[in-house]
Amino acid sequence: MATTPTDIREEGLAVEPGAAPSSGAPIRQSNLWKDAWRRYVRNKGAVVAGTVFVLVVLYCVFWPIISPYDANEVNFAEAKQDPSLAHPFGTDKFGRDLFTRTAEGGRVSILIGFGATLAILLIGVVYGSISGFVGGRLDNGMMRFLDALYGLPYLPFAIITLAIIGRTDKWTMMIALSIASWFTTARIVRGQVITLKENDYVRAAKAVGARWYRILSRHLLPNTLGVLIIAIFLELPAVILGEAFLSFIGLGISPPDASWGAMAQEGRTTYRTHPIEIVVPSVAIATLVLCANFIADGLRDALDPRTRES
Amino acid sequence: MRTKSIWLWLALLMSSVALVAAGCGGDDEEGTSGTTTTEGGAEAAEQVITVNWGTEPPSLDPGLASDVTSANILLNIMDPLVKLDEDLNAVPNAAESFETSEDGKTVTFTLRDDLKWTNGDPVTAEDFEYSWKRTVSPELGADYAYQFYGIVGAQDYNSCDPKKDDCAALRDKMGVNAVDDKTLEVKLTTPQPWFLQQVAHHSFLAVNKKAIDQFGDKWTEPANIITNGPFKLESWQHNSRIDLVKDPNWRDAGSVKLTRVNGRMISDGITAVQAFEAGEVDVLYQGLPPDEISRLKETPEYEQYPALGTYYYGVNVKNITDVKQRRAMALAIPRQSIIDNIAQQDQLPATGFTPKGMPGFDAINPDSPWLPGEGDMEQAKQLMSEVASPKKNITLYINDSPGHREIAVAVQAAWKELGISSTIKQQEFQQYLEFLGPPPNKDVDIYRLGWIGDFVDAINFLELWTCDSGNNSTNYCNEDFDALIEKARSTEDNDARYDIYGQAEDILFGENGDMPVLPIYFYTYGDLERESVKESFEVNLLNQTDLTKVVVTE
Amino acid sequence: MLKFIVRRIFWTIPVLLVVIFLTFMMMRQIGGNPFRHSERAVPEAVQRNLEAKFHVNDPWWKQYAYYVKGVFTLDFGPSLVLRGQTVNDIIKEHFPKSIELGLYAFLFAIVVGVPLGVIAALKHNTAVDYGAMFFSNVFHAIPSFLVATLMIYWIALKLGAVPTSGWATWEHKLLPSIALGFAPMALFARLVRGTMLETLQQDYVRTARAKGLRYRRVVGLHVLRNSLIPVITAAGPLLGFIITGSFVIELIFNIPGIGQYYVTAVNARDYSVVMGLTVLLSVLIIFANLVVDILYGILDPRTRDART
Repeated sequence: MATTPTDIREEGLAVEPGAAPSSGAPIRQSNLWKDAWRRYVRNKGAVVAGTVFVLVVLYCVFWPIISPYDANEVNFAEAKQDPSLAHPFGTDKFGRDLFTRTAEGGRVSILIGFGATLAILLIGVVYGSISGFVGGRLDNGMMRFLDALYGLPYLPFAIITLAIIGRTDKWTMMIALSIASWFTTARIVRGQVITLKENDYVRAAKAVGARWYRILSRHLLPNTLGVLIIAIFLELPAVILGEAFLSFIGLGISPPDASWGAMAQEGRTTYRTHPIEIVVPSVAIATLVLCANFIADGLRDALDPRTRES
Repeated sequence: MRTKSIWLWLALLMSSVALVAAGCGGDDEEGTSGTTTTEGGAEAAEQVITVNWGTEPPSLDPGLASDVTSANILLNIMDPLVKLDEDLNAVPNAAESFETSEDGKTVTFTLRDDLKWTNGDPVTAEDFEYSWKRTVSPELGADYAYQFYGIVGAQDYNSCDPKKDDCAALRDKMGVNAVDDKTLEVKLTTPQPWFLQQVAHHSFLAVNKKAIDQFGDKWTEPANIITNGPFKLESWQHNSRIDLVKDPNWRDAGSVKLTRVNGRMISDGITAVQAFEAGEVDVLYQGLPPDEISRLKETPEYEQYPALGTYYYGVNVKNITDVKQRRAMALAIPRQSIIDNIAQQDQLPATGFTPKGMPGFDAINPDSPWLPGEGDMEQAKQLMSEVASPKKNITLYINDSPGHREIAVAVQAAWKELGISSTIKQQEFQQYLEFLGPPPNKDVDIYRLGWIGDFVDAINFLELWTCDSGNNSTNYCNEDFDALIEKARSTEDNDARYDIYGQAEDILFGENGDMPVLPIYFYTYGDLERESVKESFEVNLLNQTDLTKVVVTE
Repeated sequence: MLKFIVRRIFWTIPVLLVVIFLTFMMMRQIGGNPFRHSERAVPEAVQRNLEAKFHVNDPWWKQYAYYVKGVFTLDFGPSLVLRGQTVNDIIKEHFPKSIELGLYAFLFAIVVGVPLGVIAALKHNTAVDYGAMFFSNVFHAIPSFLVATLMIYWIALKLGAVPTSGWATWEHKLLPSIALGFAPMALFARLVRGTMLETLQQDYVRTARAKGLRYRRVVGLHVLRNSLIPVITAAGPLLGFIITGSFVIELIFNIPGIGQYYVTAVNARDYSVVMGLTVLLSVLIIFANLVVDILYGILDPRTRDART
């Protein structure tokens, strides 16, 4: 079983052989996070990305509430308008305000993004920590099985999953997107757990007779948390793009609701006469993905045990 | 990158992408680029065209082919017994003459002398007998076997269960018989005046027994296929190209101008339009993306044809039980607005079920008071208020091809004003078909479908709504209606028959109409044809195109 | 080393069996009638006969057994929807095109991405660096369908430089390969740059330069070799990305590969085709992972011994 990372995302997260492992001491929360925050903030790029990200999320969450327009209201008289003061992004072919619609679509895309990511994390953490913690033959078996699962092509399985469920709404998309993507997270968590397991503090706790769940919750998981947070921002782009792709081949959210991917698919048909309908959602996707990447980079630097000082 | 300039870059990113992308597109006046100009008249030296066939045909076996692509290719590589003229009457083609008996129940075809397969063998009546029986055989599982049910014994043979019945005997009993090499005798169950026109359909084509025996399922591959029509199948690269080439040995090869027809298979509408505009394709005739239509209509290459088809919403009458609600829903639909803003191909708002272009339309069409062109929201609301216990939350099922979503959204908005909240459930096609049954799914309140005519008689449309029609997912069953349809099957006189159809339509859509169906519009076909072929390239009401008539002009 | 390789290969077989099983189980859950392709209903008798012909109603374990036997004898059965074609035919005709597309995309990604990353690293903190990184970040984030749409519009339609769709000559193949390869290219550029920067900081490199060994030699041998490691590491999951992306690219460019066909097959409930293609894709991924692991083992001797 390979303990070396075979996934580029693991590369940045695995502890390099020879480097000082993160201490297994029960973390005194304030120091760790304050420290990380300071380091994060020093990285201008990550700060900007973080701000933009937060702004986009705020826009998607709040704008539809205060907007004078209904994202789903059909009004042919106002169709296909160019951007104006009344409609900052113009209107789409149904006469719906694109600015509002993009926000609504963003809600869905971000929700699916976070939902699938959390699902991935959840499954990954459970699987990985059990496998790493118990070790031995169970670990071996579970990792072999994971190897097998690695062979599953992600998109085809998402497609089949959607076909089985028969519907495409937010929740089914989350399931479909997470079902074949949690393997790397499981590996990472397992890797972390294994490393930490051998640690002095943990062994001491074991010697004293602490229960396994206590060890997990007070020693292992908090140390893994940093890694998990980074993992969130690494998975998020993949999931968002995955949702966009699925929508693009027609397996997206049903009308009149929208996600950015679904909007891009609808917008493609009017590209020749009204290109903004495909540009806006695509740029929105790109922005979110870009920000998530920078945030992940920043977090990695901030939380990386290698550079965090001993 | 960890410097201050990151936000400069982010801003640049946003604006540059937006500018670049938004600044392009928007060709309103630009015509489509092409490689030929038109001056009409003079034939070009090279008589070759490239068409887009559309999606990959599941099969080029006449017994199995059920889609438009294969239909069109087959009708040009094979020789049907009869063809349809401009008025859609049957005229002799491979059959040099045909005769119907006094009682209307026997039709005899006399074949021409010069019919040949590409392997040199003559085409005989036995070929037709073999082919028709093969299409009806239970093992083939042909979609179109039901077209033959008007022939004596066909339905029995098709439903034969090899474990219980003697299928071979049933096969012999089927009313198709090759009296001799040149004479084919067909016995019908009832006198069906439209039978001759039906024979122009591709499922009635002859197939070559030798090819099938030798190659089995693979007999339709270009290397194996044996045909008898004006063109030959030269190559078939799945999902990519189907190329046809003129058969110089065909009986009337002299009249065929085209030497070659290259065919792409582009299923994505946008990609197809781009290919046309780049000059890679000369004819696009499998449907244009609805959003592009308003732009393409302004180009000289656009051509529109009437079609024999109706776009409708079926109603599950067991769920929406009050006829007043159905009538109100029908009244509320803004047909003309949908046509003008979404479908955009000058379709006709449907005032009945049988589409315009069907012979006898004037007598058949009920001009339903419940199907006004513009929709009548006032009356609809009023009628709705009279409904005792209306169903206010309904499901509206559509399949996911382009255009259906938009129409559903518009209808959804209209029904909202009646206080009806509709949830649009979009499904991909197979799921959709399964849902519709039979038996009809009780979750479905409203479902969208279209019906394109197989042959040119209204019965093809009206028989959908009989009690045991496999295509009736509305749960609608009216014995009076069924009785009329039965009567029509035996009514030879056209006018009398049209009258009966009119009565049938009245039952559905008249003053006291049951409205199990909400027709929306009658189809039209919109094509893009390069000016060098525009004049000669025609598509008839059944979406068939005759390549022998196409000429490339200078 | 050899033992390592043999062991890895050996383990692919149970993996494959698991994949087949999962795919099989999942396909069975999808409802739908593969024999109905139009809005016209299928007559009962006909339905019955077709189901018998294609073994659709046999008990599941029987079907599964047929299927596994089929896979190992390389017979994936007939297509339920495209009568007259077998899954093997379909694979033979369409799969090579998808592979070609993926390969060209990968090539583009390496040929453009790696040098880009190297240059960016060498000119660290200059305009070249920022420009290159800006460029690659942007193209990594923009969904490929927008890139493809823009490219077709400007280069194929407006400029007329290449055809808008299809897959016949090298002109046809240019745009789709680039469109698919953009994101991986960006990824490679970033990775290579990152690793090179790190390696350039390493003590042994500084020592070498201090000692005066020729700069280029130093870079060429050690640094570059180490920088290629992440490229190889990324190649595995990248394959997944390329497969995913190809579905969309094939659709937009009308390339007759299996990506385009996959969605059609699932939608049409062509069970045998879907299973066949999924198994095929899995084999591809497993194989790619295997190659990556082996290459990694060669390049980085540390990993070989760490294997449990």
